[in-house]
Amino acid sequence: MAEPILAGVAESDLGETPDRNWLDNAAIATVRALEDAGCALEEVDGVAVAGGNDYMPALILSEYLDLEEPSFLEGTEIGGSSFEHFCGHVRDAMARDEADVVVVAYGSTGKTGPGRDQSLEVTHPVDGFVRPTGLFRPPGAYAMAARRHMHEYGTTEKQLAEIAVATREWASMNPKAAQQEPITVDDVLESRQIAEPFNLLDCCLVSDGGGAVVLVSEEKARELGVPPISVAGVASTSTHRQDISEMPDMTTTGAAVTGPKAFEQAGITHDDVDVAQLYDSFTYTALVTLEDLGFCEKGEGGEFVSGGTTAPGGELPMNTQGGGLSYCHPGHFGVFVLIEAVRQLRGDYTGERQVDDAEVAVAHGTGGILSSSSTVVLRREA
Amino acid sequence: MNAPVEDRREEWEGPVPVPTGATEPFWEATLEGDLLFQECDCGNRQLYPRAVCTDCGAEDPPFEESEGVGTIYTYTVCHVPGEPGFGDRTPYVVGAIELAEGPRLLAMIDADPDDLEVGTPVAVRFWRISDEAAMPVFVPE
Repeated sequence: MAEPILAGVAESDLGETPDRNWLDNAAIATVRALEDAGCALEEVDGVAVAGGNDYMPALILSEYLDLEEPSFLEGTEIGGSSFEHFCGHVRDAMARDEADVVVVAYGSTGKTGPGRDQSLEVTHPVDGFVRPTGLFRPPGAYAMAARRHMHEYGTTEKQLAEIAVATREWASMNPKAAQQEPITVDDVLESRQIAEPFNLLDCCLVSDGGGAVVLVSEEKARELGVPPISVAGVASTSTHRQDISEMPDMTTTGAAVTGPKAFEQAGITHDDVDVAQLYDSFTYTALVTLEDLGFCEKGEGGEFVSGGTTAPGGELPMNTQGGGLSYCHPGHFGVFVLIEAVRQLRGDYTGERQVDDAEVAVAHGTGGILSSSSTVVLRREA
Repeated sequence: MNAPVEDRREEWEGPVPVPTGATEPFWEATLEGDLLFQECDCGNRQLYPRAVCTDCGAEDPPFEESEGVGTIYTYTVCHVPGEPGFGDRTPYVVGAIELAEGPRLLAMIDADPDDLEVGTPVAVRFWRISDEAAMPVFVPE
């Protein structure tokens, strides 16, 4: 099967963008990603957008960029994993010759923009059972899942903290990261309590910003002369919507299904993976994803991450841009895991930040409240 | 079952449920101190109330009365209010309760966090927070 090539990646400005709206940030990321690919805006014939504060986000971005009759349009909203999910649809569309240059984009003003509508949504009956409990979402809901994991497997707060520490170590090498000051396990454990067992440093940042990835056909990639970073495997699923009590098993996510599928498509095993970019809305998100993707046995995630396994120089470099915990988190973080995976496979960095000769990367998105899971295996082709 | 229903309408500043369709019988029962779940003829039990059975697809599965007891599947202590109107109450506990009948529901837990752990047996109470609904609140048994 023809595999789409990830030809260009970029972020918009991150952090605080009070003079921009979500669409501005998505558009800025898009033009920068196109520039990275060496591709003109007028060549874009497909758009995939999720998470925009608009119910027809692909249409509004197409209009904003004044695209002429794009042939591929995608707006499936499955939360933070939408962008990984799109990679599969783009692959299918390109196999049908439906599009040659597709932009996968996201933008948000999660930090400085207006807050969410607080009126109780009645279109989904479960909301009436959830919101009046006062549960602080998403942190409290993830915290409940983490507590269940601790109960079943003896995972400790200290082990969760190790993830934050390793991630911050990567962030210290990323000038774009919001938090670059190294931290210790004690710093995490002593940070402000948010929703037990989570402290502040177990939780992702809240940022403005956007990101975009340009996927092109193999033929187009050759024309552009970009490094051939391919989508070698992709799979998605979901287990529930937003109410954590509906999650069938709070210690296992959909990654247990999507990981094996994506790995099989790509024809790889865990030993082949050079770098992992796993959605880390919270420390627990990364821990449970490591287990579910099979990097360690179920329940052994805490032990696995102890001692710097995922830190620079560790056995499995993870979230090498600093992740949602330290780099940025404008809401749907999934687009940023793809961006960093591509940069590592291209060898964009120097020194310790660059994972040596990275050929295979896993990018994993999580959406909702551990609700959707999408795994992409990316490979630098010969 | 008829668990106690405490009227908290005066002091409640948080959101309130809006009973509609399949959820109406559930919320009506809460005003009487009854906790309902749906039990389909096929044997499937479910909560929140839905217009279809998630196992066999039968429409409008009938309601049954829960004993109102269960165990804490997991919980968190919120130090940051999740909703406007909850600010004065922090820290407070929210949990996922596994009812003796099987279904799980998210609920407030009215207890000192130090008295709780995963697996703690709990029983339901109700706080009436609007003219139309009382929220299930669990306390250690």
